[in-house]
Amino acid sequence: MIKVEGLYHSYSNDENYAVKNANFEIPKGEIFGFLGPSGAGKSTTQGILTGLLQLQKGNVNVAGYDVKNISQKMFNKIGMSFEQSNVYSKLTAKENLDFYRKLFDGQTREPADLLKLVGLDGKENVRAGEFSKGMKHRLTFARSMINNPELWFLDEPTTGLDPAIASEIKDIIRKENNNGVTVFLTTHNMFIADELCNRVAFIVDGEIKLIDSPKNLKLQYGEQLVDVEFRKNGTVVKETFSTIKEEEKQRLQKVILDYEIQSMHTKEATLEEIFIKVTGRGLV
Amino acid sequence: MKLWHSFVKEILLASRGFYFYVEIVMAFVFLFLLLFVIPDNFSNKSTEYLYLDLPKAAADAFMEFSVAEDLDQQGEAVEIKSGKNIYPANLIETDTSKIYYLESAEAVIQLAEDEKNFGGIVKLNEAGDGLAYEYYLQGYESERMKNLLLLFHNTEMSKLEETFNAQEVRPLSDGFEPLTDKQNMVPVFLTFNGSFMGMFIIAAYIFLDKKEGVIKAYAVTASSVWQYLMSKIGVILTTTLVSSLIITIPVMGTQPNYLLMVIFLLATGFFASTLGLFLASFYKDIVAAFGAIYGLIIVIMLPNIAYFIPSWDPVWLKIIPSYPMLEGFKEIILPGGDAAFVLWTSLGFLVAGLLLFVFSNKRYQHSLTV
Repeated sequence: MIKVEGLYHSYSNDENYAVKNANFEIPKGEIFGFLGPSGAGKSTTQGILTGLLQLQKGNVNVAGYDVKNISQKMFNKIGMSFEQSNVYSKLTAKENLDFYRKLFDGQTREPADLLKLVGLDGKENVRAGEFSKGMKHRLTFARSMINNPELWFLDEPTTGLDPAIASEIKDIIRKENNNGVTVFLTTHNMFIADELCNRVAFIVDGEIKLIDSPKNLKLQYGEQLVDVEFRKNGTVVKETFSTIKEEEKQRLQKVILDYEIQSMHTKEATLEEIFIKVTGRGLV
Repeated sequence: MKLWHSFVKEILLASRGFYFYVEIVMAFVFLFLLLFVIPDNFSNKSTEYLYLDLPKAAADAFMEFSVAEDLDQQGEAVEIKSGKNIYPANLIETDTSKIYYLESAEAVIQLAEDEKNFGGIVKLNEAGDGLAYEYYLQGYESERMKNLLLLFHNTEMSKLEETFNAQEVRPLSDGFEPLTDKQNMVPVFLTFNGSFMGMFIIAAYIFLDKKEGVIKAYAVTASSVWQYLMSKIGVILTTTLVSSLIITIPVMGTQPNYLLMVIFLLATGFFASTLGLFLASFYKDIVAAFGAIYGLIIVIMLPNIAYFIPSWDPVWLKIIPSYPMLEGFKEIILPGGDAAFVLWTSLGFLVAGLLLFVFSNKRYQHSLTV
């Protein structure tokens, strides 16, 4: 669905690249997470893939279209949900969706259905300017589905949403993916990437450091850990033990035998911890 | 169809915004001024203060001659209020001037100084066989003016009259009515509130869309940037037509050639809108663009000076678009105006507008979304 080869991009048209030699391929039906801290080159890459930024160097094919000579028809196949809500504040929710659906050539979805899907039913005739930040974000998200996209670009789709709404948004993404929609998810939120993505790419300073599935990454880079709380000399002590390192396994056995255990939880390495391990950088 | 849908959306957005009404409200304000404040013709009569320092018989003879020049052949006793002083005077009003005959030379000098008008004292010459004139000018009068006064008082009237009569004056055409001063203001309002207002409003619309980020959303639809830009121009042309007709119909009635006017408004409005689009493509927001907008306002206002002071009409001024606009609107409202000039000028603005639109479209394709 997406094929990127030797992609470079510089905002200053020199060798100060925001994206350097990016190569990746996303097959149809995959949820692909593009992960990295702010300024890593995520939005630049996504901008090039969606035609918002002009391709400078490299080969990019999106939904069967060469981005070098972008065709308006390509946009019939893709949907884009922006991180910053960008809807017409003077139009109602329904008017916003009604307008955008007329800008596509194929079959489009009913605005009322989409508004219901994102929990904005009953707000159809309210102007977007009167919406809260979260509601505007949901409207932006709903709009990205208006043309039944085959390829769906999502930029921080749950940022700023309360947990219940974020969970509903994640369910919608899963459901659309189950219907065959390919998803390109840009985020610095490792939890949502871990939950949703079939594969993730770590990008830092414009370079893709690795691409793999969250499961493989955990197997390769993660450690199985156990968090234990136990009572020692009248005070509660909290320690984390590796279940892989021999020395720590023995110490864990000793603690179980010698002390009163308060609580014990197994824990696998998070994607965020792996990201830091691989790139040497945090996600903020 | 996508262009139509975009246009309908833009009309809806404009009708819920502020800028749409600015042009319409301004049109009504201008209409009010034209109908109720601006007179049909401005008074251009000069004001003069005179004192006759003459023996009574000579003064009476002078006054008799002067009263004969009065519009209703009789003077009017008036009082001139100047600061805290009140001066009794005898007013003689002719086609070209208002002459106040005062009671003392001091009053003439004081009024000439306070009211910044022309003052004069008429007395007998040294020989006592003719009149001598003492003028009190403001100091900034030109040498030409002073020479004219010298010539007037040192040359025999018969010779002056002979020279005047020897001048041949041939009108190039006849059979048309001149515009009143009020009607003469209409092209100015049409140029600036009609055509050029669109330039600023379309730039404001673009900056508003940039602020809301909706352009990015538009850029990932199967619609083209040119349709987005053209739909905005459509809104501007609609308001231009409405606001211009609000001003023109009540003031000019059926006199103008309305078909020509619509063609000219569309062509000039299109040009001004594309100029606004082009300008806005270089700036991130309206604050950043303010300097350029202000500079442009100054430049496009300059032809106004030539319009009202025809003696100042340098060649370079004619390349400023507002110059041919003013002339074009004037031809439209003049009975028997030059339709060919209006049509050719419309074509010129249309071509220039199309070129600007192509440039703007190229620029927006690469600058709207970053």
